[in-house]
Amino acid sequence: MLHLLKIDLKKMTSYRTFWVVCGLYFVTLAFTTASGMEFLKWLAGFIQGFGQSININRIPLYHFPDVWQNLVYISGLFKVVLAIMVVISITNEFTYRTIRQNIIDGMSRSEFLLSKILTNVLLSGVSVVMVFLIGLVTGLIYSPEVRLVEVVTDLEFFPAYFLEVFAFLSYALMLGVLVQRSGLTIILLLLSNMIEAIVKVNVPEAAGWLKDVFPMQSISNLVALPFARYAFQEIQDYVSLTALAIAAIWAFLFNYFAYLKLKKSDI
Amino acid sequence: METVLSTDKLTKYFGKLCAVNRLDLEVKRGQVFGMLGPNGSGKTTTLAMLMGVTNPTSGNFTWFGEPATHHTRKKIGAVLEHPIFYPYLSGQKNLELNALIKGVDPARIGSVLELVELAPRKDDKYRTYSLGMKQRLAIASALVSDPIILILDEPTNGLDPMGIAEIREIIKRIAAEGKTIILASHLLDEVQKVCTHFAVLRKGNLVHSGPVDDVGKGEETVEVIAYHDDLSHILHEFRGSLSVKNENGKFTVHLRENFHAIDLNKFLFEKGIIASHLVTQKKSLEKQFLEILQESQDVSHKM
Repeated sequence: MLHLLKIDLKKMTSYRTFWVVCGLYFVTLAFTTASGMEFLKWLAGFIQGFGQSININRIPLYHFPDVWQNLVYISGLFKVVLAIMVVISITNEFTYRTIRQNIIDGMSRSEFLLSKILTNVLLSGVSVVMVFLIGLVTGLIYSPEVRLVEVVTDLEFFPAYFLEVFAFLSYALMLGVLVQRSGLTIILLLLSNMIEAIVKVNVPEAAGWLKDVFPMQSISNLVALPFARYAFQEIQDYVSLTALAIAAIWAFLFNYFAYLKLKKSDI
Repeated sequence: METVLSTDKLTKYFGKLCAVNRLDLEVKRGQVFGMLGPNGSGKTTTLAMLMGVTNPTSGNFTWFGEPATHHTRKKIGAVLEHPIFYPYLSGQKNLELNALIKGVDPARIGSVLELVELAPRKDDKYRTYSLGMKQRLAIASALVSDPIILILDEPTNGLDPMGIAEIREIIKRIAAEGKTIILASHLLDEVQKVCTHFAVLRKGNLVHSGPVDDVGKGEETVEVIAYHDDLSHILHEFRGSLSVKNENGKFTVHLRENFHAIDLNKFLFEKGIIASHLVTQKKSLEKQFLEILQESQDVSHKM
């Protein structure tokens, strides 16, 4: 397993695009998630222009345990950047035909796919660690008092976040294997939510539950939008097990479809 | 001798097109096996099936007497069609990756880079290499694992005469080490110069298979130069002469079957003539190849 991961990392670590994209991802992720208070200040100023005032210190954006869901939700919006990197990585193998040489050199088709999946696991894991550290630091800075019981509350958002990123990267990998051309794959990836929305509109009202089974929807169901709670609205502040199960099944299916395609095609 | 590769009715269809038709091949250890055929005759498709990148429609093959898996492929060094590498990696890094996939010690990288004379450029990115350097890196990558068998597909394609000569030298050097080599080419001259055995494919069918040395068996042609006024007449007298041609004092004698240069030499000596030049012309593979193709075409027309 580790051997396969090493092979894929060897390909990526000397590839400048990989470092640029990953660097941009982690830098923008870190800055965005860490600058919530700056955003609130801007928002307060903006609202003041309309003659209203809000006390930003009363919005517990970074207080434990709110910080976890808040940061995880925002970070989830950035996963598309990583997904594009995954698309580039897999479609390069088809454009340069290096997948062919890898197999000639003695990799099996499933080993090849597994090496890509393992990289996806690693990227998802690094994202989790990153967001956890940012959450921990900002939480310690902004929480008026730090109580361990609050720090460890709501940590289940991290497995959910991991699955959110991993399922989406699996989707990107599958698209890459199916389409094999980078430009078209990236366009399809970016339009996925839109295409799914068009299909969902046509789902009859009686089968409304079906909407939660759609792949993109199931991924975004993992972590619900938390900010409405600061406008005194009810939010889902837990991870639904059904959502976890559906997203996990999709993650498995994406990788399985990629496997089926690789298995039967001439490379 | 140990059989390295054996195929059993190997067949590949691309849609309706039959690229390889019920191919039976056998390659033994130590052979330098040439696969000949015009472009599109199924050479690369055959090799792609043997290397696991193209799924056969039907038929089987074994490497080293076992059904092929990705583990057997690790014992083979192969380059099909064009050299394939990561353009953004250096030659050295590309070879390290090959070694990692094959699960072998990267220690040989230095020496194979020396062998193909790429050592000075090993840290440059692959995309900066010339075509000849790319082909040489491909051979290096096939050798990294010190494979038992080497597969080269058109290794001199697109090279200039010097590049072709260099690659040919490298292949000869490798063959001298006793490695089994399968060489696909449409360049007959190349196969004749380096191969011990050869097979001819035409439209996916095997039309001939045998040792290269057998080429040129059958009727011989001998060139003779000797200082004698009546040489033409005397050569005609020889029992084995089928025809005699004279070109600027150089005589070309076509011999009947079962007559050889040695008989002609003896005959001349008995007549008191000592030849200053006596050469058996090897029938070229090219001639044989065209004959084989012609025959197979006749057969298929009759069918």
